[in-house]
Amino acid sequence: MVAGAWICLLAPLVGALLVTAGANALPRRGAAYLVTLSVLVAFGGALTSFVALLGRDADDREHVSTAWTWITGGSYRSGLEVLIDPLSVMMMLIVSGVGFLIVAYSIGYMDGDREERRYFAYMGLFVFSMLLLVQGGNLILLLAGWGMVGLSSYLLIGFWHERPRSIAAAKKAFVMNAVGDATMALALFLVIQRTGTLAFGALGDVQGSWAVNLVALGLLGGAVAKSAQLPLQTWLPDAMEGPTPVSALIHAATMVTAGVYLIVRTHVIFEAAPKVQDLAAGLGAATLLVAGLIALVQVDVKRVIAYSTMSQIGYMFLAVGVGEYANGMFHLMTHAFFKALLFMAAGIVIHALAAEQDIRKMGGLKQLMPRVYWAFLIGALALVGIPPFAGFFSKDPIIASALARSDGYGYVLWVIALVGAFLTGVYTFRMLFLVFLGEPSAFVREHFHALKRDVVGVSMGATVAVLALLSVIGGWLQFSPFWEPVDTWLETVAEPLVNPSGWQEAISSILAVALGLAGIGVAWVLYGAKRRAVPRSAFWQRTLEHKFYFDELYDAAFYRPAVWMARALGRFVEQPLIAGSAREVGDETRDLGGVLARLQTGLLRTYALAIASALAVLAVVFVVVK
Amino acid sequence: MIALLGPEIAWYLGVSAFLFAVGALGVLLRRNPLIVLLSLEIMLNGANLALIAFSRHHGRGDGQIFALAVMAVAASEVVVGLGLVVAMNRKRITLDVDRMNVLRG
Repeated sequence: MVAGAWICLLAPLVGALLVTAGANALPRRGAAYLVTLSVLVAFGGALTSFVALLGRDADDREHVSTAWTWITGGSYRSGLEVLIDPLSVMMMLIVSGVGFLIVAYSIGYMDGDREERRYFAYMGLFVFSMLLLVQGGNLILLLAGWGMVGLSSYLLIGFWHERPRSIAAAKKAFVMNAVGDATMALALFLVIQRTGTLAFGALGDVQGSWAVNLVALGLLGGAVAKSAQLPLQTWLPDAMEGPTPVSALIHAATMVTAGVYLIVRTHVIFEAAPKVQDLAAGLGAATLLVAGLIALVQVDVKRVIAYSTMSQIGYMFLAVGVGEYANGMFHLMTHAFFKALLFMAAGIVIHALAAEQDIRKMGGLKQLMPRVYWAFLIGALALVGIPPFAGFFSKDPIIASALARSDGYGYVLWVIALVGAFLTGVYTFRMLFLVFLGEPSAFVREHFHALKRDVVGVSMGATVAVLALLSVIGGWLQFSPFWEPVDTWLETVAEPLVNPSGWQEAISSILAVALGLAGIGVAWVLYGAKRRAVPRSAFWQRTLEHKFYFDELYDAAFYRPAVWMARALGRFVEQPLIAGSAREVGDETRDLGGVLARLQTGLLRTYALAIASALAVLAVVFVVVK
Repeated sequence: MIALLGPEIAWYLGVSAFLFAVGALGVLLRRNPLIVLLSLEIMLNGANLALIAFSRHHGRGDGQIFALAVMAVAASEVVVGLGLVVAMNRKRITLDVDRMNVLRG
């Protein structure tokens, strides 16, 4: 069990290091296979840990393995330790399992890229960082993984470093995440100050309502930034500048799910600060609505999927915000399946159309690539939550759990979640209809080239097929309230706060499915039959296309003042004071040096005379003083 | 006993000072590096004479040992100095200390 966990953690790191060390000596495909294999080994390690945990009693499933003491300072002590409990094992399985499929898919997608090896080394690092985040046995290791995930995402979003837009997107993601890292670090400082340790158990010992609320708020800030929730969401759509498998990895297996994991892992402090937990649920609800609306007008296929991720993570935040932790984690898992599926199917489309991502130029692809169409359809149905696909089993209990709060706030959340279900149907099938139905457009006829049956085609086709299968059957793992193995599995880690009754589940499911189908119907009327890419209402179109002006707001609120202040400081402080004084000191030194240099005549006899006369003077002085 | 062994120490010191002054004037006034080196040797010898005179005056040996050390240093210095002068001559550099002023600041 312990060995499996360590293997799971270290295998991707070893793979990344080997590719780095091998450098040009390694064949291009070799690097790809090496990293894929290392992530597969990690999945094997996770599986052995899982099986070992299954064999134990429910109360005996938490185990900490310490390699050595990592940091000591005064009475503070943190070990390099991994935590093996039902929650971390579940995350390990998702991260390494879905991560493996995505890396395997990259073998085909990145084939022939000039810097394939660098790409695969980064992918290994990314998976390792996320595993460190979910396996870390204390808060400081969690924060270390947290920061490394930010670093890896920066490296991968900006992978095509010759494109200025990629670099800008990478920087944006890094800065936005750094805001969250900072609030999280501040929260951890407060925990150290109050309890003297950063073990997970210490969170329960934080005393005083101010401290508890601040710690919870700081952690929520980190979760919001990493999971791209309001108000720190603007980096996620821009992150689509990276290669498509990277988007799939960020959205499905690593990175954005970290926030949900963090809240479940630290739920003790959130339960002690109920207002902050309500805030998390509210932010999730707001995000799912806003992201669903923005997705309606996006024309880049990857951006539509990106906004759907924000929306789905919003559902997860809603779930953990009302205290339905197991369902949040379950939705995280099914979402990993169908979101990776959607991204990778879209990746095949982009690959086949010479890197074109604009859905207005697509159309009629169903005739040209029917199997990709079916895979995409499965992913879309799972996303909308139509039974029997995965999303239905995980999303509807979340909506029901909002209802189960049985207070005004809960009802508001419930209505928003249902509206979100309707929007999901509209934007998902708008994209599906525009891309796959109708007649092939002129652009498609000109640029389309099908996948061949070589390594490239097989690696991309087979992984998508596996994910399609998982998106169909993955949801059957839990069908509340009839059988609930995920709830039971996570019960020892996080006890749910609400328990929806049968009729609440039933009414939420019926309404959500009906609204989802209605959304699909609206999408059919607007986009399937008429094929009009964007709505005609000018005000809404403008507002939504500017993503509710969040970018403009941050630009005006932070970027411009910072630039203005920097200019002012440069003009009134640096130029006259700092640069001026430096120049003055330099000039004076040079002048003084010029004077002294004149003493160096280069004439031997002057030096000798100087020495002799000095001696004579000294002799006289000694005689006189004596 | 001192009287039997020779004149008073003041005489020795007088000769020593004279030698030193002659050497110093040579260093200051002559422009040929060869002569400058010679003058330096004379200065050293003046100093040696003073050392030995005091050694005798106090009846102790350390001054003489010091004089021997000075002679060793002087011999080494002459080797280097003459070597430099010969090298300069072979490079057809005018042997005039006033014209060797490359190090002027």
